[in-house]
Amino acid sequence: MIISRRTALLGTLAAATPLRFARADDTIKIGGIVPLTGPAAEAGKFMQNGAKMALDAINAKGGVLGKKMEWVIEDDATTNPGAVLGFSRLVSRGDCVAYTSSVRSTQVNAMAPDALKAGKPVMFGGTDPSTTHQGNPWLFRCRPNDSFSARVIADYAVNTLKKTKVALVHSTDAFGTGGMNALVATLEKMNLKPVLVQGYTNQQADFTPVVLAVKSAEPDVIASYFTFENDLGIFARQLRQLGVTAPWVGSPSIISTTALNLAGRSLFGTFGIADYTPDASPEAKAYNAEYVSRYKVNPDNQSTWVYDALNLLAVAINTAKSTDAVAIQTALRGINGYKGTEGTYRYDANGDGVRGYNVVKNENGKIVFDKRVEFES
Amino acid sequence: MATFLQLLFTGLGIGAIYALVALGFVLLIRAASVVNFAQGQFSMVGAYLLVVGFNVLGLPYYLSMFLSVVLMAGFGVLFAGATYWPLRHRGGLPVIISTIGASIFLENIVLFLYGPSPEVLPGLFDSPGIQVGPVFMDSQYLSILVASTILVILQYLIFEKTLLGKKLQATSQDKEMASLLGIPVVAMILITFGYSAALGGLAGMLVAPVLFVSVGMGGLIALKAFAANIIGGYGSIPGAILGGLLLGVAETLGASYISVPYKDAFAFAMLLMFLMVRPQGLFGEKISEKA
Repeated sequence: MIISRRTALLGTLAAATPLRFARADDTIKIGGIVPLTGPAAEAGKFMQNGAKMALDAINAKGGVLGKKMEWVIEDDATTNPGAVLGFSRLVSRGDCVAYTSSVRSTQVNAMAPDALKAGKPVMFGGTDPSTTHQGNPWLFRCRPNDSFSARVIADYAVNTLKKTKVALVHSTDAFGTGGMNALVATLEKMNLKPVLVQGYTNQQADFTPVVLAVKSAEPDVIASYFTFENDLGIFARQLRQLGVTAPWVGSPSIISTTALNLAGRSLFGTFGIADYTPDASPEAKAYNAEYVSRYKVNPDNQSTWVYDALNLLAVAINTAKSTDAVAIQTALRGINGYKGTEGTYRYDANGDGVRGYNVVKNENGKIVFDKRVEFES
Repeated sequence: MATFLQLLFTGLGIGAIYALVALGFVLLIRAASVVNFAQGQFSMVGAYLLVVGFNVLGLPYYLSMFLSVVLMAGFGVLFAGATYWPLRHRGGLPVIISTIGASIFLENIVLFLYGPSPEVLPGLFDSPGIQVGPVFMDSQYLSILVASTILVILQYLIFEKTLLGKKLQATSQDKEMASLLGIPVVAMILITFGYSAALGGLAGMLVAPVLFVSVGMGGLIALKAFAANIIGGYGSIPGAILGGLLLGVAETLGASYISVPYKDAFAFAMLLMFLMVRPQGLFGEKISEKA
């Protein structure tokens, strides 16, 4: 028998194909969009580290439904179109049982309509309160939302630091605007009006106009919602250079590893609210120890929420005993008291799980835990 | 008044950054008729070279800077070989597209080689700056202002007062005629690419302590620098400088006195205004299309 090259090729393909499918069936896949490129590529690395730790732990304990859990990722290029595109690539694979989305609210909001169409649970880390209030039953947040962060910032500034003249600096993206609205509303309930509400667009080379606006408003405390660490770093340096010394309570980016590295001394003495900090709980402490021993850097919330997301999905799939989307969704909603690195998860009908923040202080570059503030709802 | 002076100083500082990058643009436009959209990425690569020399290898700051500038010049020649040379007979547009492609390539290759962590570089001077009356002068902004001034003078002297500069200009105006006159056209173009990359790299190294070193740092300034180039007059050296400074001051003042979130809009509104009212820019000559 003479075998032509084409026949041989087809034969090889035919032989290889069932093997490939057999291997694909061996794992339960979670799709994830990750910023591999763009300004948040640094965060993408943290995410992958956290996910790796979660998968190793899950699979060491026997995986999900007797199979190994796998996380397949697509780049979101740190942009909204990138996130939407990456998500649609994941959906079109057809073999993911659930997804993880972004830590950036603007990207989560951009892909929310597609998540609704995909009809499978999407775990995300963005903290814009409105994301879970748009009637999308598939979104599950793995961090506390900013209605809580605003309450903690306001509480700490007014009741602990005893300050009343608040200057609020925020990014004009979905995250920053959401946080700003929540903080203004919270202060209003305390009968306070910020002396300044100043927005800025992401990725600025210079923050002098913002700093001068803060300076001339003469606040006794600064509150901030910064999205990107390099913006925060430039603002922090110029704030100190231009002689503003008011205490500063910032959203979690102020204590991120990248921001501490970039801004250095300029952030000494600031306060941050943190959804994740190592000393907040035994789970957080254990996570920190393992992360440091594995990767030789300190973890931050960029990795913890993904770690929690994959663990929550593993718990939900094992509880549901099925990879059916509705079954996983129901199991996630039934989670009540799961202790993750971000806090204790009790999902409500909207998809909000964690309701608390930690307040920490930057003491000469070291992040020191002050207290945890939990809310019932 | 104090606020205004502070804004003016910062605006000039930021403007000088745009001007430095714009200078690199102008050089290539004048000598090789190439609009190089990877000019911002030259700055990024230069800054990363300094990071490698100073932070990683632990060489002295000024030595690393010098070595980086030299390496950037070599890199510019390689860049010319890859993006310009194969397309040189196809007119302007293919080269422009090729430089855009190169800019994406450079960002991603640095991301791949160096990873996404932004890096911190110290400024030229240890002191953060000086207080002059009500104005705080950031030492790095001062360095940038001084460096731009020196480089402008240097560039003017090279182009207008030296034989090399005249050869470069002749090459730019008419390659065929220049080669008939015995000017080594290829060498001239390669020299220009090398100098332009060195200049772009130096701009990146000067900006790094202000903006931090990240893969995206080039894109942030290159677009404004290009706008500065149009405002000042396409291909004009004093135009690039003045355009950069104007742009920096206008957006800083606009941001402070009108609206911070619309800061970028002021820069581009100014560009649009110039394109409508004075398309040849501040120092440009009115050129009608050749028959």
